[in-house]
Amino acid sequence: MRLIRELYRYREMIASLVRKDLKGRYKGSVLGFLWTFLNPLLQLLVYTLVFSVIMKSGIPQYYLHLFVALVPWIYFSSALTTGSHLILDQKNLIKKVFFPREVLPVAYTTSGFFNMLFSMVIVFAVIAVTGYGVNWAALPCLIPVMLIQYVLVLGVNLLTSALTVYARDLEHIMGVLSMAWMYLSPVVYGISFVPEQWKTLYLLNPMSPLILAYRDILYYKAIPDWGMLLQAFLISLAIAVLGFWVFACLQRRFAEEL
Amino acid sequence: METTATNTVIMVRDLKKKFRIYADQGRSLKEKLLFKKRRSYEERWVLGGVSFEIRKGEAVALVGRNGCGKSTLLKLLSRIYYPDGGSVKLEGRVSSLIELGAGFHPDMTGRENIITNAAIFGLTRKEIESRMDEIIEFSELEPFIDTPVRTYSSGMYMRLAFSVAIHVGADILLIDEILAVGDAAFQAKCFERLMEIKASGTTIVIVSHSMAQLERICDRTIWIDSGNIRMDDAPSVVHPLYLDYMGQQRHGSPKPLPKATVPMEEPVQEKTVRWTDICLLNDKGERIDKFCTGDTVTLQLTYEANPVPDEAVLIGLALYRADRALCYGTNTQREHIQNIRLKEKGTMTCTFSPMNLIAGSYWFDVALRRPDMFAYDYRSKAVQFTVYNTIDETGIARLAHTWQIPTDTE
Repeated sequence: MRLIRELYRYREMIASLVRKDLKGRYKGSVLGFLWTFLNPLLQLLVYTLVFSVIMKSGIPQYYLHLFVALVPWIYFSSALTTGSHLILDQKNLIKKVFFPREVLPVAYTTSGFFNMLFSMVIVFAVIAVTGYGVNWAALPCLIPVMLIQYVLVLGVNLLTSALTVYARDLEHIMGVLSMAWMYLSPVVYGISFVPEQWKTLYLLNPMSPLILAYRDILYYKAIPDWGMLLQAFLISLAIAVLGFWVFACLQRRFAEEL
Repeated sequence: METTATNTVIMVRDLKKKFRIYADQGRSLKEKLLFKKRRSYEERWVLGGVSFEIRKGEAVALVGRNGCGKSTLLKLLSRIYYPDGGSVKLEGRVSSLIELGAGFHPDMTGRENIITNAAIFGLTRKEIESRMDEIIEFSELEPFIDTPVRTYSSGMYMRLAFSVAIHVGADILLIDEILAVGDAAFQAKCFERLMEIKASGTTIVIVSHSMAQLERICDRTIWIDSGNIRMDDAPSVVHPLYLDYMGQQRHGSPKPLPKATVPMEEPVQEKTVRWTDICLLNDKGERIDKFCTGDTVTLQLTYEANPVPDEAVLIGLALYRADRALCYGTNTQREHIQNIRLKEKGTMTCTFSPMNLIAGSYWFDVALRRPDMFAYDYRSKAVQFTVYNTIDETGIARLAHTWQIPTDTE
């Protein structure tokens, strides 16, 4: 409760960090803000080339099947990779100024969220240009799906950023972990590829039902499976609570460990 | 214990803090798991149970040697560190000015940085907007406020940073060593502003090495020594003792210096005119053999004459540093002080105000001569003394100087 009050008091700091991150992320690079769009597009190009030309997956409109999953995936994986050295990067601030440390992961998760929204614009552009079409009834379902993902990403980011302060090479492990996690989520393939007996376990990964929901809404133009989403929400919430708790314990000695 | 006056805003009870000193810090997971030895650390107590209370509106200075724990204490007060024992309680909005310009981004304009920086202090958008004009005005940077701060000189940068910091509007202000900002005029302004803030009832805790500054602002000084409170009293009580202690610390205890009375062991024989006592006095008239650069110091010379010489005499001084470098020499004749007549007994003084020698060990040679330069009594190393300094200058003496550094971009 106290934390929420404090985070609310520092809302301007969160807002300014988000602004700074969105504005400053690609400052100095020639293409600037365009990278927000170019990055997922280039990844999309690579995966599409591999999975619809070289290793034919047989999925129609594979690029879209992939794209609607890749955008939320990039958001999630950022919490693992770049998000893990979030606290380390703000060393100077943490050693010298008091503010609720949770401000940093909250701001980071929020700016990532906005980045995902911008990427979604491209998704819709692709849908519009190719004449793929959308199901207007299913579209509003994106809102709860995105919010659940926000909770999940925040929880994961709290964990990774706090733990990395104490064990620096988690940062490197995160790259591998992120890759493994991606292949254990239905990003480049569909859920039908997963053997039936593994499905329950597979869906415990909260990213799986989330990606499936994105795909249901945008690719299959269907209403997502609410039962699965509820499960994803509960797991995400548990991770977020754990994240806040672990962060609260570990942050006590941030200023000394850095 | 809990019956504290209602106007106590800072309550520190048996506050303890230890740091882990890693022998060979293994930061990586592999090292943490595999090498138990590298994980091992020594625990060092930086604060060993400090208790004090500060009332609303008080301005308290924290002084102490480097590494004594005063900055740690300030960081504990500002919640950057968490205590390992005891408790810290602060009432009201706390603002810690430990770092100026936190979160400044060189590519952003002055105005944008004000917003970022103030946001880090926990101000809301509204509060920032309402203070914006005041902050800009105080910084005297109106013409540049919409240009990126990377184009600022360091002086301008600090002015902007300080302006934000001073306008945070806290109930408790924690300040670490940041009053050396900008030129003299701006410093004076910051000072005035601090006094205003204090007058408005804000509680201030300040760490600084500038005793002069502290004396002007603070009503109370807490002297921290090796993690404990050594003294807690009015600045006028604590500071002289502290400075004296610091002076002694800085030079260890140098080889036994002459006691207050000069060693007058030189042959007394048939000297008809001789020095009987040569000593240094501080501005309170107390004998000293240590003082701080810039102090007023009086060399007191006492003589005896039997018989009293007919002609006038002259007095010569030579000041040497421990490495025998002649720092200064003069005599009364050269300074056209004529007709010094001795009596049977007498005392004369020569006051150096200020004595601007920088830190080191020195001595005076003192001579009493006839006009033809015959020495009645020439005392080498008549008085030896050490000087300590609050500024880390080099050379022999501090030359009076004033900096004038244009703080505008060209």
